[in-house]
Parts: sequence; structure tokens; C-alpha cells
Amino acid sequence: MSTETAVKQGAASRLRTARWSGVKVWPYLFALPFIAFYFTFHFYPLVYSFWLSLHDWNGIGAKTFVGLRNYVTLLTKDPLFYKSLYNTFVMMLMSVPLMILLGMVLAYLIFHLTKGRLLFQTINFLPYITTPVAIGFIFSFMFDWQTGIVNAILMKLSLVTEGYYWLQDPWMSKAIIALMIIWRNLGYFMAIYLAGMTAIPQDIYEAAKVDGSTGLHTFTRITLPMLRNITVFLIVTSIIGGLQLFDEPKLLYGGWSASTSGGPDNAALTVIWKFINDSFITGTRFGYGSAIAYTLFVIIVLFSILSYRLSAGKGEKS
Amino acid sequence: MKIVKWIFIIAITVISLFPFYVMLMMSTYYSENIFKGLPLIPSDYLIDNLRTVFKTDFLRVYANSLTVSIASVVLGVLTSTLIGYAVAKFHFKLKHALNYFIIITMMVPAQVGLIGYIIEMRHMGFGNTLMPVILTWSAWSFGAFFMVQFIRDTVPGEILECARIDGASEPRIFLNIALPLIKPGIATLSTLVFLWSWNSYLLPLVTINNAKSFTLPVFISTLGIVHRTDYGARMAALAMATLPVLIVFLIGSRTFIKGITAGAVKG
Repeated sequence: MSTETAVKQGAASRLRTARWSGVKVWPYLFALPFIAFYFTFHFYPLVYSFWLSLHDWNGIGAKTFVGLRNYVTLLTKDPLFYKSLYNTFVMMLMSVPLMILLGMVLAYLIFHLTKGRLLFQTINFLPYITTPVAIGFIFSFMFDWQTGIVNAILMKLSLVTEGYYWLQDPWMSKAIIALMIIWRNLGYFMAIYLAGMTAIPQDIYEAAKVDGSTGLHTFTRITLPMLRNITVFLIVTSIIGGLQLFDEPKLLYGGWSASTSGGPDNAALTVIWKFINDSFITGTRFGYGSAIAYTLFVIIVLFSILSYRLSAGKGEKS
Repeated sequence: MKIVKWIFIIAITVISLFPFYVMLMMSTYYSENIFKGLPLIPSDYLIDNLRTVFKTDFLRVYANSLTVSIASVVLGVLTSTLIGYAVAKFHFKLKHALNYFIIITMMVPAQVGLIGYIIEMRHMGFGNTLMPVILTWSAWSFGAFFMVQFIRDTVPGEILECARIDGASEPRIFLNIALPLIKPGIATLSTLVFLWSWNSYLLPLVTINNAKSFTLPVFISTLGIVHRTDYGARMAALAMATLPVLIVFLIGSRTFIKGITAGAVKG
């Protein structure tokens, strides 16, 4: 919102409250349901989880207060936690730069189409709305070593003589999960960039044209800097979301092929997957699980600040 | 240059559609025949696959998913719109505090309080019902944030002021004047909640232990373990699970994409 309307609105509301002092109870009433629900179903669980993270509890028996021992164990005696953190970061590094690059190029090309803009926008957005379960099944079917369509195509083209064991290779499994993430989110990135490009005033382009700027030059000197805030937004939100990665790896290994937890040698285990395993599936260590969740929360806060600083600062230099 | 451009657009579009296409084609095959060649042309087994799917609890699960999504839409959109209206259109002491509150709560990942939430739900007696999956939408910070922005931009303060001078009560002003103006925002938000609650996998997986209350994502992913051989039937089930969101999306695709990108372009 522009400051002008804000000032106008502020003045108007001050007038209003001066004249209608009885009105004041209404905003609180309107805000109340949200606030009440938030404190009941979001804030209380947050506090309760933190309190649990200081205890040893299996969900049924007595809770034993252990102080920060859950956190100490997690950070010093649980190599799987670091492995899951490492996996999560590798998958993020594999997917985020590609999504930014492809999303921007795709948006740029579609933006300059004279016909079929809405059609291509809609089609490319479809993966984003698909149920992750479907994505997991389809990908694990496509990359299955025996029956998978990818191996079938490669064999038909005589590129390989026998099926490759895609899902059992630690690096391949990470790459396939990255591919799932890219496939699902590319349309979203494209849509955000398209909206950003639409928001750039057209007279800037006309001025550039008059000054003799064309094609690539215009793109790098005008479009790219104008999209900086959007790129920062996309990087920061994909890091926040990426650190909570769960659906894709879990569903790739959950249903179709061998239901191994964590993929080959835990190469696909993410932090949230480990959190879910420790607290609900392989064990019911609620205290320890809460400690994982809170540690991840701290990491998310740190990395969103860091990525914001880095990506916002990089643009200022150029 | 122009050819390269078209090849790129078309390649990406084909890749976007290919898995959908494979899913639809596979749902028309007899399971054992899928692997004899590439399932790229439709076969004739669709009806039998659908029959297999409906022999399971599919209909009840489908109804569960619809209940969850519709209830979540009603609950989430209602509370978001009310607080959005309050923060955007009233001047009161806590206005700015509430605005910050919404933005800060939007940054907290839902999983952090997950264990506490599950224990709370058990204590409230909702352990094996659909309630945990619905109630999580009761205070949806993104929705509130979206509504504050939307109502601020679309409802002119003067109209509300006029109605007040004419002596209309606050609930009436909200219902008869503000609400009709913010219908597009409500439509966008409803599509979003429907989509996200329909596709949600993690929360129902850990909160619902009772097979009677399974939602589609959990049901289909566990179905995989029970009937692990019938790929055709499972693909038919998946296709049917994808259908409602596809319809919802195609009906509102223009406003929907606008809504989902609104936060990014402004912030």
C-alpha cells in the first residue's frame, strides 16, 4: 500500500473514532475468533512442545525432566541427524538454483508470447496442484529399475542394455527427489515471475528501446534487477520450505517400490522425516522429537535470515 | 532463436503434462499389461479398474477428504476474513500489534508444535476423528495476511463511513457492504485452502490412526502396501483423487494464480 493512502486512511479513521467511540469494541470482536483459535491450536502446542523437549516421554508413562539433555544428545550423539540435515541441504542445492533459473526463463518466454499465454501458464501450473501422493507414485513408477518407463525408454533407444537401479543409488535418489521438487514447483516459480514481470511498468522498456537497448541487454539490465525482490522472496521461502521437506522423499520410497525408510542407506532421509520416524513410526520419543523440531526451527530462522542477507545484498553490489 | 524458444516452452510443457498422461493411461490398463510395453496409448480396462477401486473403502475416504476440505475452507476463510477486516479497516489500539502478530506467526513452521498439537487433540477426544486435520486451519496466518492486504486495497473506507452515518450496525456493514466487495479474495483463499487441505499428507498421516477417518493421500499411500500388485487400479484411484483439485483449479485458475502470487509481488 502506498504511504499516501495510508496517511489518508489514518486521518479518516482518527476522525471516525473521534465521532464513533462506540465502534471500538467491534475490531476486537472481529479479530477474536482468529486470536482465540491461534492460541488454542497453535500457540499452546508450540509451548507444550517446548516443554516436552525438556523431558523424556514415550507418550504414555511418566515424564522425566531431563533439561537440555535431548538437545545435547541430538547435537552430539546422533550422526543420523547431521546426515538428514546434509541430505536436506543437498536436495535443496540441487533444486533451488534450477527452479529459479528455469522459472525465470520460462516466465520470460511466456510473457513475450503474443498468443497462448494463459494456456501455457495454466498447463505449466498443473503439477503444483497435484497431490504429492500421485507425484510420489508416478516418479517411483517411472524410475523403477525393472518396470520403470525411464529404463524402458533408454533400452528402446539402446542407450543402456539393462535397467539402471535409479532408486538404490544414494546420489541418484537425491537427484530424483530434486527432480520431483523442480517438476512440482516450476509452475509456481513461473507464475510468481510472470506476475512480477507484469508489474514492471512498460514505459521503462520503451525508454530502453529508444536508447538502443535490445534483447539480452534489456533482460540483464532492466528485467533482472526489477525482479530482484521476487528472487529474494523465492529463495528465502524455498529455503524455509525446503528445510521442511518430507512429502516427496517419503512418498517416493513409501508406497510403490520397496518401502525402505530413508531410502538407500538413509540417503533420502530429511530432517522432518527423521522427526516423524523418531516420534511416531520407529519410536514414540515425544521429548526427543520435540527437540528435533525446535532445533530445526532454529536452523530455519538462522538460514532464512542468512539467505535474506546474502540474496538481498548480492543485488546491491551489481 | 524463435525455434529455440518454442522448443524450450514445448519441452517444459510436455514434461509438465507427461506424468499426468502416464497416470491416466495406466489407469486404463490391466495391471500385468502395463509392463509389457510403454503404456502410452489407452487400453480398455478402465471400468474394471474403477470397479476394483470402489470395492475398497474409497467412497468413504473420498467423503472424508471432501468433508475435511470443505470444513477447512469454511473455518479458515471465515476467521481470516474477520481478522483481515478488523486490521485493514478499523483504527484501534492493537491494530499494528495484530498486523505484526499475523506476520510473525506466518513464519513459524507448523511442524514445530506438531507433537504438542497431537497430544492436545488426544486430550480433547479428537484423536481418531477428522477434527485435527480441520482445526489446524482455524487460525491460518497466511489467510489472515492475505485478507488484510486484500481488504485494505479493495474496500474504500468512505463507503463504510457513509453506512455508519446512516446508522447501520457494524455486523450489517460487514455483511452487506464489505463482504460483496471482497468476494474475489474469498474465492482465491477458498481455492487455496481446498487445494492445500486436500493434498495435505503429513498431518493426517500422524494424527489419524483410525482407518475409518483416513483421507485420500493417506489411504492411497497405505493401499500401496495392502494391494501391492494392482497398479492399474491404484492409478485410477490417483486420477480420481487429482480430479477435484483439477476442476477447482481450472474454474478459478486466473484469480487463483493471481492470489497465490499476490504476496510475493507486493512484499
